[in-house]
Amino acid sequence: MKAKPIAFGLGVAVLVVLPFVLNDFRTVQLATVGAYFIAILGLDILTGHSGQISLCHGAFMAVGGYTTAILMANHNVRDLWTIPIAAGVAGGIGLLAGVPALRLSGLYLALATFGIAVVLPTILKKFEHFTGGSTGITLFGKPTQTGHGVGVWRLTNNQWLYVLTWSIGVVLFLLAWWLLGARFGRSLRAVRDSELAAAASGVNRALYKVLAFGVSAAFAGVAGALFAINVAYVSPDTFPIQLSLYLLVGAVVGFFGSIWGAVFGALLIQFLPDIVGVFPHVDTKQAGPTTFFFGLVLVVLMLVLPLLLRLASRISNRGYLGAP
Amino acid sequence: MANFVQQVVSGLASGGIYGLLALAIVLINRSTGVINFAQGEMATLSAFLCWTLMDHGWAFWPAFAATLFLSFGGGLLLEAVVIRPIQNGPLVGIVILTIGLLIAINGLTTWIWGGAAKQFHGPFSTAPIRVGGVAFSKQDLGVIVVAFVAVGLVAALFARTRLGLALRAVAVNPLESRLVGIRASTMLAVGWGLAAALGAVAGVMAAPSLFLEPNMMQTVLLYAFAAAVLGGMESPLGAVVGGLLLGVVLNLAGTYVHWIGGELRLAVALALILGVLLVRPSGLFGRTALRRA
Amino acid sequence: MTRNLVALAAAALTLALAGIAAASPSATPGVSSSTITIGSSGPLTGEAAAAAGVLKGADGYFKYVNARGGVNGRKIDFKFLDDGYDPSRTVNNVRQLIQQDNVFALFGVVGTNGNLAIRDFANAVGVPTVFSASGATTFGREYKKYPWTIGYLPPYSVEGQLYAKHILATNGKKAKIAVLYQADDYGKDVLAGFRKGLGAKRSLIVQTVGYDPTASDVQSQVAQLKASGANTFAIFAFGKFAIQAFVYANKLGWKPQIYVNDVASASSIMQLDPQSTAEGTISILWGKDPATPKFKKDAGTALAATIVKKYIPGGNPSDGFLIAGMAEAFSMVDALKASGKNLTRKGLMNAVTHMNEANNPFLVPGVKVHTTPTFRFPIASVQLQRWHSRHWEPFGGVQSAKP
Repeated sequence: MKAKPIAFGLGVAVLVVLPFVLNDFRTVQLATVGAYFIAILGLDILTGHSGQISLCHGAFMAVGGYTTAILMANHNVRDLWTIPIAAGVAGGIGLLAGVPALRLSGLYLALATFGIAVVLPTILKKFEHFTGGSTGITLFGKPTQTGHGVGVWRLTNNQWLYVLTWSIGVVLFLLAWWLLGARFGRSLRAVRDSELAAAASGVNRALYKVLAFGVSAAFAGVAGALFAINVAYVSPDTFPIQLSLYLLVGAVVGFFGSIWGAVFGALLIQFLPDIVGVFPHVDTKQAGPTTFFFGLVLVVLMLVLPLLLRLASRISNRGYLGAP
Repeated sequence: MANFVQQVVSGLASGGIYGLLALAIVLINRSTGVINFAQGEMATLSAFLCWTLMDHGWAFWPAFAATLFLSFGGGLLLEAVVIRPIQNGPLVGIVILTIGLLIAINGLTTWIWGGAAKQFHGPFSTAPIRVGGVAFSKQDLGVIVVAFVAVGLVAALFARTRLGLALRAVAVNPLESRLVGIRASTMLAVGWGLAAALGAVAGVMAAPSLFLEPNMMQTVLLYAFAAAVLGGMESPLGAVVGGLLLGVVLNLAGTYVHWIGGELRLAVALALILGVLLVRPSGLFGRTALRRA
Repeated sequence: MTRNLVALAAAALTLALAGIAAASPSATPGVSSSTITIGSSGPLTGEAAAAAGVLKGADGYFKYVNARGGVNGRKIDFKFLDDGYDPSRTVNNVRQLIQQDNVFALFGVVGTNGNLAIRDFANAVGVPTVFSASGATTFGREYKKYPWTIGYLPPYSVEGQLYAKHILATNGKKAKIAVLYQADDYGKDVLAGFRKGLGAKRSLIVQTVGYDPTASDVQSQVAQLKASGANTFAIFAFGKFAIQAFVYANKLGWKPQIYVNDVASASSIMQLDPQSTAEGTISILWGKDPATPKFKKDAGTALAATIVKKYIPGGNPSDGFLIAGMAEAFSMVDALKASGKNLTRKGLMNAVTHMNEANNPFLVPGVKVHTTPTFRFPIASVQLQRWHSRHWEPFGGVQSAKP
């Protein structure tokens, strides 16, 4: 389909132009969007294409984020080099998690991953000798921080973060695009749609499901590392259960797990609180209304989306959990 | 030794609350196949409704009865309006929807009643009874008794009534149930209504000791999931027994294993969930389901 | 085609320039001829939402001042954002306040961890972070490294020390102390001060148990503490956990001498506790609690009540957090006035480190706001109070809370 390369090209063009058109603060907000984007890509691979629901991608981000923070603060590693390491650590943990996940299906996997995401902050707080406990780890101004929080070359710090995040984002998008179109993706989808048929066709269900977990977690690890670099601070509360939930929402909103929708999901996560503030009765300074409308929007989205997608698929004549 | 017994007794008391909420979760799972992440918040909302009625002068039992009716109705309504449209869609959509409900109901409760903790006067006295150095209250006993009564009612419903039979049939095979004249959609709604009513019981029983505030059931939710998993997601009795067991284990682990202390109790619950799901997914009381591919 | 391209390029260029122009700060950011913009962040939602009362109280007081002409002819525009007590959101909020809203200064940022998280950044860009709603000792100590930051609340560690000293003075020989503490920096800060205050008699502590703020209840912890045989119970906990501590002590038939920390001492909370257990509890105070009979007919609490009625819809006049916020705001207005008509960030820091305020209507008489460039603990004196017959009774006079 020619539409996709054109869309991709347009997307990159917009990305390049944006920081020169928007003000500095919006630029750093979009850098955060970039981190969410990468995490959602990972979730798309796992939940969208291999059919395994993960409610703990925030926890994988935490692994990446803390890897970066600990390496930068305690082991003098430059922030850029921590990114691939974070990917490796998170990916490794993902592979490990993928093995027991084989025994859990659907709702039980959701339950187990929900529990992991809820409990991770308390574990991070407990092992404070390692993680800095509830005080967290500050990275601002450290020599290992590229630009020292002030700027790089002739870019402001915010522009630098944007460039860093989105260049990695574009590369990872291409990687995901390739993986999902190749044998890896086809095997994932085969297993997702019918394990029996997949096995009959010679697809090693266990291998691909575990690999999906690993790759997906590695993406989230990169996202977490970039997030930590962006905010220049991590604490156990930086990656709460809400983050995992919003990532899943972002993945689903992005065309139910298609990587082409990931950017919309990421934008939603970042800007939904602002959108909620538009409603007439919402005083965003009040806890109740803000939270209520946030939940309401999610509920309405989940009701409306399938209708929209059915419409869209009827128009484009393809199922909505199809190839990338 | 006295402390050991005390921890066990307190554990049973907290465990009763976990078990009641777990019962509601198991009921929805058994009748509609959904894990309702919003169960805890629904229970909190019901407790607030009861509190409001009592605040306007109603006595406890009439307020409680009214709350049960309202909660049942609310559950029915939720299923019909919000769950049914996507009942047959992708699982992940349903999961997110119940999470959206969790957030929305929590926000609604905070919006209407504010975040400050309120005192809730339950039907049982909270005056301490001390036996041989161990203290508990009628409230604690009441929670455990109510939990078992609820189990009995639910089990009787499923095993001995036509309604229960229809609920089970629809959960197992909606299509064929329709063929024998059962209105599947009504049964699903009834399942949610019953679970909501059970959740109301859980909320009202929990409020006197946990103090009524919007976030009251947030942590209890994970413990309730652990209890439900421990007891077997399909077994009402298992949910309550699982809850009691969990309460005791958490207290003993927290008291005698210094490393766990007061900070890692959630982690213990998680370890239990993972352990049971991986080693013996049917839990203590469930039946192993065979899946024909 | 070329004309279109040129037009497009011109439009893009204009947008870019506009974008850049919008982002560049004016002479003194946040100060115009008619407004001073100050920013803050706090837990408007989440577990610690009660503490957000500080921001609402301050907001109410600023509105009151604005209605009377403002400060040196300028009105105060107070922007505060929600961080749900998550320090990384505090960082994001502060970034937004500084880079997008161009605030003159940060004021009353709530929470120790949040303030720690933003300290490096704010100091690097030279934005004052004044009167933070935190009593962490480090904010007053490390001013050489962080000259743009200053706290407000009496240091938590000193609070712990005062309780310890009171125990030594009243029951030094027979006290057996059990401690329930919130297992985060706040609780540990108070506990550390408590231990320090006991000095050589540290062994009087027979048992300490922490709890995670995500716990549903602390019954098990309290039972464990009672089993240690202690006759003195120190509660360093927040909101509902403090209430539960009283409730379970009562239930277990335990009647120790209780010390409860300031943040859980508001009368509205104390009245929810079983009174037989709460009777005789000791805490500290520095801000006026309107429910305390001593301050019932007080001009300060009357003013607070007026402000709550007019400017804080839904606010409870007995909410200690609101009063604390008003006290901070009063000091802020004082500092802004002292900085003069020609308002600069340096000028504000100068005013803030030369405070000598004895007339804050929201502070207990005798508690002064006093700072010097080398002594940066604005409130360093408190009074002890005892709970009796459903209300607080201050006793013993104002004492020093200098770290």
